[in-house]
Amino acid sequence: MFRSLLLTLATALLVPATAFADPTAEELLKKYDAVMGPVNFLASIEMTAHRDDGTTRTYKMSVLKKGDDKFRATFAEPAAVRGQEMLRQGDNLWVYMPNLKRAVRLANRDSFQGGDFNNADVLRVNYQADYTAKLVPDAGRADAWELELHAKTKDAAYDMIKLWMRKADSQPIKGEYYTASGKMLRMADFTDFKAYNGLTRPGKISMKNMLATQRYSTMSWDAMDTNVNPPTGKFVLDDLGK
Amino acid sequence: MFSLLQIAVRNVLRNKRRTFITLAALLIGVTVMVSIRGTLNGLQRSLLQNVVKGQTGALQVHRAGFLKNVLSSPLSLDMPQDAAFEAKLLGVKHVTAVAPRILFAGMVNVADQTIFLGVQAVDPLREFKVVPLRESTLEDKSQFASGKVADAMVVTDQLEKALRGANVPKDAPAAILAPDKDGALSGENVTLTGIMKLNMPGEKKVGMVRLDVAQKLLKMEGRATEYILAVDDIDNIEQVAADLRLALGKDYEVSTWEDVAAFVKQAMARQSFILSLVAAVFLILMLLGVANTMLMSVLDRTREIGTMMAVGVRRSKILGLFLMEAATIGALGGIIGGAMGTAIVLVLHARGISVTFPGSNVPFTIQPFVTPGYLLAVVSIAGFGALLFAVYPAWRASRLRPVEALAGG
Repeated sequence: MFRSLLLTLATALLVPATAFADPTAEELLKKYDAVMGPVNFLASIEMTAHRDDGTTRTYKMSVLKKGDDKFRATFAEPAAVRGQEMLRQGDNLWVYMPNLKRAVRLANRDSFQGGDFNNADVLRVNYQADYTAKLVPDAGRADAWELELHAKTKDAAYDMIKLWMRKADSQPIKGEYYTASGKMLRMADFTDFKAYNGLTRPGKISMKNMLATQRYSTMSWDAMDTNVNPPTGKFVLDDLGK
Repeated sequence: MFSLLQIAVRNVLRNKRRTFITLAALLIGVTVMVSIRGTLNGLQRSLLQNVVKGQTGALQVHRAGFLKNVLSSPLSLDMPQDAAFEAKLLGVKHVTAVAPRILFAGMVNVADQTIFLGVQAVDPLREFKVVPLRESTLEDKSQFASGKVADAMVVTDQLEKALRGANVPKDAPAAILAPDKDGALSGENVTLTGIMKLNMPGEKKVGMVRLDVAQKLLKMEGRATEYILAVDDIDNIEQVAADLRLALGKDYEVSTWEDVAAFVKQAMARQSFILSLVAAVFLILMLLGVANTMLMSVLDRTREIGTMMAVGVRRSKILGLFLMEAATIGALGGIIGGAMGTAIVLVLHARGISVTFPGSNVPFTIQPFVTPGYLLAVVSIAGFGALLFAVYPAWRASRLRPVEALAGG
């Protein structure tokens, strides 16, 4: 009895100690993947591209994900892209063009529908697999951890990323995306945090183009369901367009 | 005066060896100058022709601001591609043909390969009326240029090789993809009909596709981003440009080939500058040769000068005589050298020199030529230069004291 009381006491004292210890970079990256790219999900996403000339264009799509590396995006709007589908399998990415009735391979770093996200931003969220991370010790902000990510593979979305995650709940709040030479390509703000069937995560990302500074795109998640288990047959080339 | 010239000519002919050496220096100098200039003239004319008749056309019309953003090939800076607009362009005096283009960045796909490239969309039948030399850069003249293949596209052989990697069947379908004018990804089937060679160094990942295919792909039916124009005489382009600006207003920008291919203009100016330097060095070397032989001549002929002075020839006449001798050699060397240089240039012109630029795979022929103005300039520079460089030796001769000179200096 006494022994178990002691144990309880010790545990109780230990808990706050671990709670206040800094998370490791790996833990933060794992958290990022867990909120931004859960293992399985079906999401309806809306992307609005703001272009140099002040015009905007809105795309609506549903994205289905299974496992670590299978994605399928189906576009519903605008009419010009209705019926287009994108499929990711591991390092491979294709776009299915309904008028060509076939799929064409794309590169990860191509712009996603002419907006300011690239294909890998949307269809390859697996930072643990793609990057090595380290915590920046003297981060500029008191309320957030700053992570520096370096790509492990050429297929990763960027060569280098600086990522800020809120200390309060480890949610991502800001990202900066760089080339290998250290030039900043894009900058993202994560906002509109909400719960999707129990998963709390940013509901919106604004991606600013740092090369053409008049341009930016926003991506918002209207719905996200992580309790899905789509069949593997949905993620093969032959199934596209059906 | 005339007798002085006669004596000068006789003196020149008298010492054959010395005259020969001096003449040889002048001859070689002038011949080299004329043939180098001639070859450079030919090279520059070929360059100009290649650019104007093989790439840019004499003039180009874009929406205002297009050239500043040409690297991003903006589709929003577009203009009508219709009979009314073309009539406006063709209505300007000296314009003989026009052709529409769309420039855009896209991807070309065959089987498992998708590669970025810069695309020029052209109307083949009209494109080759404005830039006729361009047709020779196409390996498949009959198919792309004739317009018989409705969705024809050509790419550089570097691209073709990259697209048709191992195990790709010859009939694998090809497609072109690009963001349309609103940014949405769009794709069209194309038939790769062959190879397009590059006639200038530059970006190698490029291709040409038919305008109507591009218009459908980019959702730009009835629109173009560039018009290229041919004129009857290239010397009229400034006039034509001014008239076009007046006719089109401030929404459009009119550029000559010099604006579009500024690097060619700069290269030509650089070549001419280097040639002038080389020519100046040659000239000074050969004139120093003349001065040297004249000085030798004065030293050799001290007794003769003394005799002339003794019989009452004035110092000014002695000075004139030596200057005249130099001028005679200069004129002879200049004229014969000019003739030899011209002969070489004419032979090269008839034979043509075949050159392939590094980074290009289309050989083109240089036909050297010289202008009468340049010949005249070279001959007079040789003559007057010889005269100028003979001033010191002649002055030395005229300052000799008769008694000492008679005694042999």
